[in-house]
Amino acid sequence: MPIDMELEAVLRPTQYPMPPYPPKTITLANGKVMVVRQAVREDVPAILKSVHPCLFIERDYYDIVSARLYGELLAWYRYRVKSEYCLMGQVDGYLVGIVNGRMENEKVGMSYHTLAIDRGLRIGSHLFAAKMEYHLEYLGQEEVLIVAESPIGFRRWMIEYPLEATKIPHELGGGDSYLLTREIYFKAKPRLVVGDRPVSQELMAEAEAEIKFADDDTIRERIAGLKGR
Amino acid sequence: MRDVAIIGAGMIPFGRRDEDTLMDMLAYASLKALDDAGLGDKSVDAVYVGNMGGGMLQRQTAIASSLVDRLNLMPAAAETVENGPASGGSAVKNGLLAVASGYYDYVLVVGGEKMREVTGWRATDFVATMTHPQAEYPYGITLPGMAGMFTRLYMEKYGVTREHLLAISLKNQEMGTLNPYAHVEMALDRGGIFDSPHAIVNNPTSADPLHLYDLCPVSDGAAALILCPLEMAKKLAKPPILIAGFGQATDTQTLQERDDPTDLKAVTLAAQKAFEMAKLKPGDIHVAELHDAFTILEIAESEHVGFFKKGEGGKAAAAGKTRLGGQMPINISGGLKARGHPVGATGVAQVVDIVFQLRHELPKNRQVQKAENGLTVNFGGFGNNVLAFVLRRVQS
Amino acid sequence: MKKEIAITAYKCKKCGKLHYPYHDRCLACKSREFEQIKPQGNAKLLTYTAIFNLPWGFDQRFLILGVAEFENKIKAMGQIKADSVDQLKVGMKMKPSWEPIRVQYGEDVYGLKFEPME
Repeated sequence: MPIDMELEAVLRPTQYPMPPYPPKTITLANGKVMVVRQAVREDVPAILKSVHPCLFIERDYYDIVSARLYGELLAWYRYRVKSEYCLMGQVDGYLVGIVNGRMENEKVGMSYHTLAIDRGLRIGSHLFAAKMEYHLEYLGQEEVLIVAESPIGFRRWMIEYPLEATKIPHELGGGDSYLLTREIYFKAKPRLVVGDRPVSQELMAEAEAEIKFADDDTIRERIAGLKGR
Repeated sequence: MRDVAIIGAGMIPFGRRDEDTLMDMLAYASLKALDDAGLGDKSVDAVYVGNMGGGMLQRQTAIASSLVDRLNLMPAAAETVENGPASGGSAVKNGLLAVASGYYDYVLVVGGEKMREVTGWRATDFVATMTHPQAEYPYGITLPGMAGMFTRLYMEKYGVTREHLLAISLKNQEMGTLNPYAHVEMALDRGGIFDSPHAIVNNPTSADPLHLYDLCPVSDGAAALILCPLEMAKKLAKPPILIAGFGQATDTQTLQERDDPTDLKAVTLAAQKAFEMAKLKPGDIHVAELHDAFTILEIAESEHVGFFKKGEGGKAAAAGKTRLGGQMPINISGGLKARGHPVGATGVAQVVDIVFQLRHELPKNRQVQKAENGLTVNFGGFGNNVLAFVLRRVQS
Repeated sequence: MKKEIAITAYKCKKCGKLHYPYHDRCLACKSREFEQIKPQGNAKLLTYTAIFNLPWGFDQRFLILGVAEFENKIKAMGQIKADSVDQLKVGMKMKPSWEPIRVQYGEDVYGLKFEPME
């Protein structure tokens, strides 16, 4: 599609400068090592291929979470948001989970979505924690606004941290936001935020070489199949 | 009393069966058992359905009546048996007694549960309704919570360690990867759930001192058996499996009213009765399915039924004695830990798994060589209603 | 105002065995006559757990529960007022109280709570 760059200059918001998220590795319950690293804008088309099959999975609200995530990532790719980031988890190069968020302003962050493509390994927990780590420790923010769309998300974030209820409205008209403050984060950190840094050159090279993704049927089976947990 | 044999066994894969209703699952498992028994279009005389939660989770009652209708087993006698997580075992027992008494010849026993119909909060609450309605339930106690309090005492008294519990999680989840009927087909890694600093997130405390991977998953599933008098079974193609022994015992509802809360008297008594009836000793058993809803229970039951002395079960598991090829193979199916625990199905599924073992029809990586005698223990409540069955391969 | 601990235990009039909760026949001698007994004094912690996957009706991160024995030997389950199980040990002295333990149908439900005294 030809792009009118003069118009784009009007439509594209100024991009917030955001310091990078330093990659880390996490050993999962099955012994596999997950590399958690920040995606770059050019990664978006590859990531969307893994999000696509999730759009049609009703179980555990994967449809709504992935539809919103799809839109958010696309908006980032097409320069329609000013401060979005995306972190991803890869095991043997395969994409197993995606989280994204943005800066509401310098002090306040907004958590967008958490999508675990492989299940039963607490990948969602690890990646959500990485996202909070990014906001508070690397973007240097004071607090993060969070809304859960699924009961699993509610249990993982609102109850496990536990987050503080607020009356701050959701930007798409959903339920009121919950809040992660620095105090809550640093109290929860020892039991929820893990990872080893730096990542070995070998693992990093494997992760960066190619974002591999399982085929649609495999993704659907993992999330919504009989053995989904 | 007549000798009673199992001539048909069937199970559907356990897991999250979103597409199936409770009745679908019960029907599928029943048809598999009917076909396995070679009954074809024939009917049975009676049907016993083990189910705990139909009334609460599906708002459906009189499930057995509905099942005979679906399967066109009319005018067979039919009833649903509710006995908490031992509903399956109780259904087997009712079938056994009905055939043994001489009143019925062919009986279908099926257990099933659809627990993933509701969120984890609701499922936890549903299972907790078996605790004492005034002295326990209102406080927010859960079955894992009961197990946590039991584990603390058992660890202190018998020196069970997390290392011992870990051996059960690792063994059973590894076996689950080999069982096509198992809910959880993921082998665990010791580093990932125990040694690594990342284990704090991967395997968090669930009901202290128990961790996430000490607990069985919440599953949907169903399993079924066909019983008939041994004399009639001898004419069939597959080796009949004799229900050689059966025992059931109860205990106080609350742990605190037991003289020694670490003593699972009902397990000991149920197993003793089953062994006596079968004229066998624990040492004669070649393979066992024990009710490992929590890893501690596999250890405690292995001691209470007499496989190991008190305090030795955990060490035996850690030394690999309960693995396939070990001295006393336990939960080769993956147990509740990996097969899953659809509460009403479990007691039947355990018997189905032992039938597969005693018929010697499993692949090599799951078959206990030359298995002739098997034991199942189905543990209801927190050990306040326990059933044990001794099964024996009949030489034809 | 501090509420009275509203549980009743039952002492068998024939053999003296103490029961909580209620049974229609004595767990030792099957007698049906009981004297009603109220828990007295402080309690000794017998076992405990912290539950992290709570049932419907509880929205906190975890709940610490335990069984404790009163000075007059009544044993009962209660919620434990502590921030972590690290503050507890079997055998420690606990102060009992009767407080809201959950909300059901919009109403407080009262029950036993124990607080470590050490």
